Parts: sequence; structure tokens; C-alpha cells
Amino acid sequence: MAPLPRPRPRLLTAAALVLGASLALSACASSGDGGESTGAAKVSKKASTSRYQGTVLSKNFEKPDLVLNDTSGQPYDLRARTAGKSVLLFFGYTSCPDVCPTTMGDIGVAMSKLTAEQRAKLAVVFVSTDPERDTPQVLRTWLDSMGKDFVGMTGDLAKVKAAARPLGIAVEDPVVDAKGAVTSTHGAQVLAFLPTDDKAHLLYMAGSSIDVYKHDLELMADGVAV
Amino acid sequence: MSSRSFRRSALLGAGLAAALAVGAGAVAHQSGDGGAPRLTVADPYIPLPATPGGTGAGYLTVRNSGGADTLVSVSSPAAGSVTMHRSTDSTMEQVDRMDVPAGGTLDLSRGGAHLMIMDWTRQPALGDELELDLQFAKAGRVVVRVPVKPLTYRPGS
Repeated sequence: MAPLPRPRPRLLTAAALVLGASLALSACASSGDGGESTGAAKVSKKASTSRYQGTVLSKNFEKPDLVLNDTSGQPYDLRARTAGKSVLLFFGYTSCPDVCPTTMGDIGVAMSKLTAEQRAKLAVVFVSTDPERDTPQVLRTWLDSMGKDFVGMTGDLAKVKAAARPLGIAVEDPVVDAKGAVTSTHGAQVLAFLPTDDKAHLLYMAGSSIDVYKHDLELMADGVAV
Repeated sequence: MSSRSFRRSALLGAGLAAALAVGAGAVAHQSGDGGAPRLTVADPYIPLPATPGGTGAGYLTVRNSGGADTLVSVSSPAAGSVTMHRSTDSTMEQVDRMDVPAGGTLDLSRGGAHLMIMDWTRQPALGDELELDLQFAKAGRVVVRVPVKPLTYRPGS
């Protein structure tokens, strides 16, 4: 790895990753559905003993009940198809030049360092926030650059928004400018759902390193609890 | 939104300065804003777009040992559109200028300030060297040869 420190999206994030989950509430503060946390004190205690390097979530979101098309154009039921696996979930769009390919590329590199047996226990799922342009085929081509076995989901944007909102991930309609450049607003965090209860337990902000992903994906593959 | 962006760029700048073993406090004093800028460009690269020929990014660091300057536009004979953007927590916003502080650096890096490149004249490939023309308010045009690197490349890796 490069000796350069990885950029952090904001000070809060850097602090959260260093200090563990005591700041997890801050990382999700923009969710708009706050106030239902299970208690900061409990979370802090949990975080201090966690072997995971991602931010331990105080609120364990349900895995979204989301059915969209996969990259072969067939319906993909997120809950049914990923049951029993640890799932990394990210919302983004393929004409995003910076954060989306960086995040998915880094996860791809981390996955490539695992054994086939470890990878079989994990699923990386990318949900498009620009379904109009991200057809199944466009999505497959884009994902193949980062992970041949990555799952891509695309379809009704209203369903995508509804799935993202309870996770504290804001998704808005994409905006296309006069030159055809697309900008989509989407929370850039990656959520990890664990198979023990199929709920989200860990959060990775944009800028989390390949090493952090590799470290935590290995733990997930081994079934280590948060 | 803008205050978040500012905090991030400040953090990036500090991180870079630390990595170069140049104290962040030490780089800012060299010359006053009135002097001529003295610019060099370090570590430019274009990650191979995830979609062949698709929207790409450009990253580089502008180091300035002189007075303050501003990057006002970027173009390339290799692409129809090069625009300046800044990623925020949940989106990216186009900007029409990027400041190069006196005795400081302008850092275009992943997850922060970056160039967005569209309408390639031909599909970029690994190993290509593409020209970027940086237009500064005072220093004028600076031409940079930029290598196309693997999608997950980072300087120093």
C-alpha cells in the first residue's frame, strides 16, 4: 500500500474510524430517521471490543426488501438471494467518475485477496441510483471492471429511494446537464449486513482503504460476530 | 455543503503535506500572495474508466513555491469535455475555479477535488499518455502528460 494517508470524506469520518463506533451516531446523523438508536453507551462498549475496523452501527437496519432486475435482466430478490451471506451494499451510478469506481474498485481488490471459499460467503451488491442510463448490460460492463461476481441491481428509482431511505442513505433524482453529464446524489457509505440476523452491523465511509475492507471481509467470511 | 467541502480539502492538504514530510505550517509562508506563482505538477494520472470509454476522472497535485494562483479551466485534445468537480459526502458539484495557495498545493485526489473527463476522442487504454492543458489565471497554460493507470491505482502504490 501507498504510504500516503487515504483521504477521508470528512473529519467526523476519520475520527469515527479511529475511535470506533462511539461516533457511529454522527456518521448516520443525516439519516433523518434518527432517535431510535439503542443507546450510545452500549455501542461504545461494543465497539471497544470489536475486531472489525468498520464503524459498528448502533442501529441495525433491516436488509431492504428490494426486488429489481439483476445484470442479466432477471428479477433479483435481495433478501432471498443473499440470505446466509454477508452482504456489502452500495448505492451509486456508473457515470460517476470518482467515488463510485474508487469504492467498488477498492472492494474488488480486497475481494481478490480472499480465497474462493471466503468469497463464496460474501456478496457485494451495487444498486443503481441512475436506472434510466444504468441498464442491466451497462451495469454488468461497469461492474466487471471491478468484480466479475459483483451483483448489480437496477430498476424502479422509487423503489431504490424507498430501500435506501431507512438505511440513512439519501438518493435523489439524477440531474443531466447540457453536456450530458449526469450527477446523482447518493449517500456514499457502504453497509455490511451479517447473516446471523440479516441486519446491517457495519458502515464504511467513502475513502475506507482496501486493507480495511480486506480485514473485515475476512472476519465476515469466518462468521466473526461484531 | 460548502463548509464540508472546505473541511475536506483542508484535511487532504494537510495529509499530503505530512506525507511529503513538509510541515503544513512550513509551506504556507514562503512568499506573499503578490509574487509570481511557481507551479509544478506531480503525480498526474487518469484511472482507466470502469466502462471502456466511459466517464473518467483525472487526478494530480499542483505544487506552488510562489504566489497564489487559480486553476480556471482544463481541456484536453483527448476528450471533448474536462470539467472540475468536488465530491461531497453524497454527491459531486462542478466548480469553475480551484485555488492554488501561495507556497501551497492544490490536491486533486480520490473522493475530493477531481477532473471529470467525458467524450474521449478515442477509448483510453492502459499505458496511454494523454495531454491535459491546465489554464491558470496567472501562470497561464501548463501542459501535462498524464498516464492512464489501472482503475484502482494510487500514487506511490
